[in-house]
Amino acid sequence: MPIIETRELRKVFRSVKRTPGAVGAIKTLFSRETVERVAVEGVTMSLDAGELVGYIGPNGAGKSTTIKMLTGILVPTSGEIRVAGLVPHLDRKKNARNIGVVFGQRSQLYWDLPLVESFELLRAIYAVPRDRFKANMAEFTQLLEMGDFLNTPVRQLSLGQRMRGDFAAAMLHDPRIVYLDEPTIGLDVLAKEAIREFVARVNAERGTTFILTTHDLADVERLCKRIVLIDEGRVIYDGGVEGIKEQYGTHRTLVVSLAGDPGTVAVADAELESREGNVVRLRFDRKAISADQLIRRVTEHYAVNDVSIEEPELESIIRRIYVEGYTDPLVAAP
Amino acid sequence: MSDIAFGDTTRGRSLTNAAEAYLEFARKAFSRESTYRVEVFTSIGSLVLRVYLLRSLWTALYSQNIAPSRIPLHAMITYATVALLMSLVLEVDGTRLIRDKVREGTIATDLMKPISQPLYWFSDGIGQTMFHALTIVPSLAFALLLVHIDVPSPGVFLAFALSFVLGYLVNFFLNFLMNVIAFWTLEAFAMQMMVRWASDLLSGQILPLEFFPGILGAIVMGLPFASIYSTPLRIYIGELPPSAWLPAIAVQVGWIALFAALAAIAWRFAEKRIIVQGG
Repeated sequence: MPIIETRELRKVFRSVKRTPGAVGAIKTLFSRETVERVAVEGVTMSLDAGELVGYIGPNGAGKSTTIKMLTGILVPTSGEIRVAGLVPHLDRKKNARNIGVVFGQRSQLYWDLPLVESFELLRAIYAVPRDRFKANMAEFTQLLEMGDFLNTPVRQLSLGQRMRGDFAAAMLHDPRIVYLDEPTIGLDVLAKEAIREFVARVNAERGTTFILTTHDLADVERLCKRIVLIDEGRVIYDGGVEGIKEQYGTHRTLVVSLAGDPGTVAVADAELESREGNVVRLRFDRKAISADQLIRRVTEHYAVNDVSIEEPELESIIRRIYVEGYTDPLVAAP
Repeated sequence: MSDIAFGDTTRGRSLTNAAEAYLEFARKAFSRESTYRVEVFTSIGSLVLRVYLLRSLWTALYSQNIAPSRIPLHAMITYATVALLMSLVLEVDGTRLIRDKVREGTIATDLMKPISQPLYWFSDGIGQTMFHALTIVPSLAFALLLVHIDVPSPGVFLAFALSFVLGYLVNFFLNFLMNVIAFWTLEAFAMQMMVRWASDLLSGQILPLEFFPGILGAIVMGLPFASIYSTPLRIYIGELPPSAWLPAIAVQVGWIALFAALAAIAWRFAEKRIIVQGG
């Protein structure tokens, strides 16, 4: 049975129409004219317990709005929604006990107080039994390497330390579902890796369900088997990470290191992507030409030291989908 | 039978749990306030300076026979000094954080917690207040080096203390209401300032409301602001005889009930707007 289910979830924001300028400001005061903005246009999805799903899309696609509806702090305009058996906005406080939330851009920790005091407060809020709290604290302190700064006021922590604190804070009450909203934004490589490691581990060991919203697709590649891609409020892809690469990553890049300088480089069926000194990058469609054929064509005309093939990264695939739209009618949502 | 008993114990436990959470909010607010120590010293220092200035001012005014003769000079100095000590607590706007949270959007994180928001702000406000209440003792000690204040009988002092607590609650819920209303009109700073100035002048903080003449005096005494400083202070200096205590305290309770109810209603509307409109 799925732990999160939404059907035709829709959210329309209404606001009073504003006219610019001083006269406009007065007009706005008396005007009852409203403008509508559709943030989410019929999102249907279903997540099983223990899944770790990447929920991605460009800015303004409706990701945050969906997450807000799942946490119960936003009422849907229409559609159905169930999280662990509850309708979040009707049972907000009960739902709150089942979920944990991490926002990369804002913290739920007490700014002026030592980190550990925020944890104690959360223990009281969620009424976490003392032994459970102790066990979680011990485990998280070790996994997130928080031992050195538990007693430091949060305002003195580095961003990486603060985010570790926020992750621990979101999971102290053993939530069944955790929403991560851009959790690695602004972090250095080490902190990013520590956090990814932590998420992977909690997911594997505790079976916690995660929805990860991010613009860093390396997070998704590292953590998620499944992605839900949303654009203009609609789901445009829902499936495996490998699947989308298979479908959309039709282009590969052949990197050729030339032995000498042959002047201009041109090969049929391949597009010259870039050239730096002797290294030439050729982008090709694997449906038009196989890698093997292309390499032969290159070596026929040029003296070559080395060749390698680059697989497309998720990021470049997603970028293309944002720009061109998802077109495969077999997988695209209705 | 056993089911009922079980239900009762779990309810009892969850009540204790809830109480613990709100107590913890108050404790954390207390610790948070205590991180700004320099502020504490400057506020005590400025208070002692103001005690001295007010003593000089009232002494000068009385020597010119400007003040109403009903209140003798020593009572006037007592009034001014105790009012300053009360302001250490009453000037804490414990629910200001509502406005900041709405503006910065952090209110969303709070709404994702299994807690009652108004109770949370109330506990947080109490915690902040408790810290500032502690500064009354050293401030009083320093003030006593500069001025003599009348010491009332234990009975009068108890009535004053009760009335002070009620005055605190009137002030708290009035602020609460203003801070929630600010949610709709984030730019309504001017309105806020006007209420603040009205409160400063009409609460009896700066000067006793007896100074307002005739009909104006009657109106001012009937406003909710009078419950904040004037009522407890008039009990303290003996302007209100014991027979008038009960009605005065009943009026304070009435204002508390009204403002608490209005604040709760305003919050319900605000919350509804947040969860429908997204803030």
